[in-house]
Amino acid sequence: MTATLEAPVGSEKTEVGAVPSFEVTIKLRRYNPESEHGEDAYWEEYTVLAHGTDRVLDALHKIKWEHDGSLTFRRSCAHGICGSDAMRINGRNRLACKTLLKDVNPNKPITVEPIKGLPVIKDLVVDMEPFFASYREIMPFLITSGNEPSKERLQSAEQRERFDDTTKCILCAACTSSCPVFWTDGQYFGPAAIVNAHRFIFDSRDEGAAQRLEILNDKEGVWRCRTTFNCTEACPRGIEVTKAIQEVKRAMITRAF
Amino acid sequence: MSTTSTSSPLAAPRDPYKRQKTTRSNYELYSWVFMRASGVVLIVLIFGHLFVNLMVGEGVHAIDFGFVAGKWASPFWQVWDLLMLWLAMIHGTNGVRTIINDYAQRDGTRLVLKGALYLAFVVVTVLGTLVVFTFDPCPPNALDYQLPSFCFTGRP
Amino acid sequence: MQTHQYDVVIVGAGGAGMRAALESSGKVRTAVISKLYPTRSHTGAAQGGMCAALANVEEDNWEWHTFDTVKGGDYLVDQDAAEIMAKEAIDAVLDLERMGLPFNRTPEGKIDQRRFGGHTRNHGEAAVRRSCYAADRTGHMILQTLYQNCVKQNVEFFNEFYVLDLITDHDLAAEDVPDGETVNATGVVAYDLATGEIHVFQAKAIIFATGGAGKIFKTTSNAHTLTGDGMALAYRRGLPLEDMEFFQFHPTGLAGLGILLSEAARGEGGILRNGEGERFMERYAPTIKDLAPRDIVARSMANEVREGRGAGPNKDYVLLDLTHLEPAHIDAKLPDITEFARTYLGIEPYTEPVPVYPTAHYAMGGIPTNVEGEVLRDGHNVVRGLYAAGEVACVSVHGSNRLGTNSLLDINVFGKRAGREAARYAATAEYRELPEDPAAAVIAQLDEMRNRPDGERVADVRKALQETMDANAQVFRTGVSLDQALSDIRTLQDRYRKVSVQDKGRLFNTDLLEAIELGFLLDIAEVTVIAAINRKESRGGHYREDYPDRDDANYMLHTMAYRRPTSAGDTADGHVDGYFDHVEEFDSYKIVLGSKPVTQTRYEPMERKY
Repeated sequence: MTATLEAPVGSEKTEVGAVPSFEVTIKLRRYNPESEHGEDAYWEEYTVLAHGTDRVLDALHKIKWEHDGSLTFRRSCAHGICGSDAMRINGRNRLACKTLLKDVNPNKPITVEPIKGLPVIKDLVVDMEPFFASYREIMPFLITSGNEPSKERLQSAEQRERFDDTTKCILCAACTSSCPVFWTDGQYFGPAAIVNAHRFIFDSRDEGAAQRLEILNDKEGVWRCRTTFNCTEACPRGIEVTKAIQEVKRAMITRAF
Repeated sequence: MSTTSTSSPLAAPRDPYKRQKTTRSNYELYSWVFMRASGVVLIVLIFGHLFVNLMVGEGVHAIDFGFVAGKWASPFWQVWDLLMLWLAMIHGTNGVRTIINDYAQRDGTRLVLKGALYLAFVVVTVLGTLVVFTFDPCPPNALDYQLPSFCFTGRP
Repeated sequence: MQTHQYDVVIVGAGGAGMRAALESSGKVRTAVISKLYPTRSHTGAAQGGMCAALANVEEDNWEWHTFDTVKGGDYLVDQDAAEIMAKEAIDAVLDLERMGLPFNRTPEGKIDQRRFGGHTRNHGEAAVRRSCYAADRTGHMILQTLYQNCVKQNVEFFNEFYVLDLITDHDLAAEDVPDGETVNATGVVAYDLATGEIHVFQAKAIIFATGGAGKIFKTTSNAHTLTGDGMALAYRRGLPLEDMEFFQFHPTGLAGLGILLSEAARGEGGILRNGEGERFMERYAPTIKDLAPRDIVARSMANEVREGRGAGPNKDYVLLDLTHLEPAHIDAKLPDITEFARTYLGIEPYTEPVPVYPTAHYAMGGIPTNVEGEVLRDGHNVVRGLYAAGEVACVSVHGSNRLGTNSLLDINVFGKRAGREAARYAATAEYRELPEDPAAAVIAQLDEMRNRPDGERVADVRKALQETMDANAQVFRTGVSLDQALSDIRTLQDRYRKVSVQDKGRLFNTDLLEAIELGFLLDIAEVTVIAAINRKESRGGHYREDYPDRDDANYMLHTMAYRRPTSAGDTADGHVDGYFDHVEEFDSYKIVLGSKPVTQTRYEPMERKY
């Protein structure tokens, strides 16, 4: 038998019938305090060749790998599950790896900026610490009392369904950094922290709901939500974030009266 | 570098982010509930007010000093309008307060704007309340045709 | 430069790292160093489930699970380890449930279970419901749950720190340390991505949990960050890598993209069809059909395409058909993977079959460890204070082919064991002296890389590597193709020495780190190919067309690959047996292939039919 190769080295697979290659211009908001631009952010445009199913992340990689190695952004899994590459694409928070170029009108320059409300470190990389700090504050873990059961805790399918939506959160910060309240007030807990509180408050196995509600009853807690639905629109996992926040509010009111 | 140094307290890898202060009271909760409750009550009060003033009888053409004086002579309408004044003012002020909280970036701006807001609230509410309670339906110097009919009962 | 002291330092914050952290952080001072934020780790991309013989929905026991694991791994599994894993699987699942993991539930409220590839009832009779799952996001839930519990336990994380060197008190790469001599791991050197500062961590015990190396291939389900860092660091420091020729190709990656579509799709009733619409798995695995182990399914798919029965305009993929399933059922059990098909290929799985093709998925091999997670420096000597768990390690419970769901099991069972052992050891051990300037090598490497004049681009070399690996060392391999891959890698190693980075800064220099990672990839690809050249048989994930049969007489052995200076002796562990005496010499080092016997307890090797 002879060696059978799937594809000769160097050959690009282009699918017949797929969208043909096209040029796309990416307008990037850049910031690098070590560069000659110093503390000033600036815009830079790159034009790259893209293929039918390419995503914004592919275009960013092309820029980094073929044009400017100093372009800095976070990414890992590249299919919308790790939450590294939330950024503002054409003014909307999205994951770069889940946004196909052809879906964001590649005929015009596509603007890419870091997510808002968190300190920018370099180019598209922001300091995530405040975001994770809020997350940690709402006690994002199962709280139980009494003896651990020897088998699993029982939970009906309906009880499990009650908090299913909010278990999908990947902590990408797209919601929190799309919230106008968070933009001006970094002290606001933000949608992501509330979503993760919701995940436990409505878990039938959990006994820490009262503590979490108490934490979120803060001046910077759920009451700062103005139901603008930016978060729901931004969520790459399709979580109904605003609804979850409303449910937490309702739980607080029921508790207070 | 000494490798046998005792384990000193270590610098954290990153400066931890700290919440400036926690303010856990039910104040925001009550204010949130108040906004919704007062909103509902205000709808009733305002539409009731508009209905009585604009629709009943001759409608809008009936409104004159006499009409207003007539209403405020009755404790029912006094309470109605007072409630409407207070609820609208608190509701509106609270609304503007949250807008200032949301959009004022600097503490100083926020303080000034809120100060102005609260001053306006006090002035409008105090004046309005005074008017409702101290209103004289039959002022002595008024022309007769402007006054409500009950001002003449008992006159010569 | 900063120096830190911790009893236990865990490198990597994926499933295995955090599971270990939960064991050790309560007992001794523990730090977790991770090049990503913990919730970004690729454990989160696992979908289908985690097998354990809970018998919640039908009769099952851990012995059957052991058998399936051993048979699935084509008998190259260390059976004592497989037995431990299958037995402790039950507690591992229950532990996770008690930590809060939201499993799907049966009508009685117990953890629901579903079928999965290669998991059978009573030694191969029929597929069994053994996989505990949370929709098709089981890995996501495990990662989140473990991180949540780390938050609860106040585990100290050093996020976005790249570990770039392992410090031991003997230089294993330079010398042959005599049998029985104690070798200690004493620390690691890390690079803080945000500031560019070097941190030295002195530790009594170190756990490597850095995950896999899927990025040696072009089409892969792995993250961009899975560059084999831990394996390469250990290997460069003279530790062996075990069974590196065995790489799993997951049958159902989205065609052209490699994004994973869980085996759960077939567990829930999905069917693979070729271009003619035929359910071709009936021909290859008549009993369990589409639920055969991954190596068999991947090979069958590649074979269909090769013989001209592929689907699509270029006939270069097959189809995963879910159209006969109820949309509501798909939404409930497979929401994420159907969304992938919609987002990335614009295909509606309710009504259209999804184009799929095998994608590089999992390294069965890695740093050899015993069942307590202790790292072996040869066939039997351990390195004191060094542990490994998860994909980076090779226990070996996966043998030559891992069964679906057993990776999530591996990280939980052996992550826990490594954490427990490391904490137990660190509780009584002393800190050992570090060398005079422990970070010198790393600093020199980084400075050299930063200051190189303009030369090769990282991306070009990496792309060439991934392409040659895809073309020559994928599902089907031959001596000729592997030799081609090796010579390509040698050329690329040369080009790598001329690679330059454009970003010369200190802050968040990902350009520099990508260059360093490329070095890891080249080393791992090289050892993978050499081990594959040397194994002249077909077993599990390693299929040689020039040697299509399994050869138990000569190859029922684990490969142990050592990197040594050209001056060193040719027998790395003193006893190189049988066919494993291959020495590949390059200009500055050579790779010595030794072997390690396979532990067999209950099961005699049989022909592997499904």
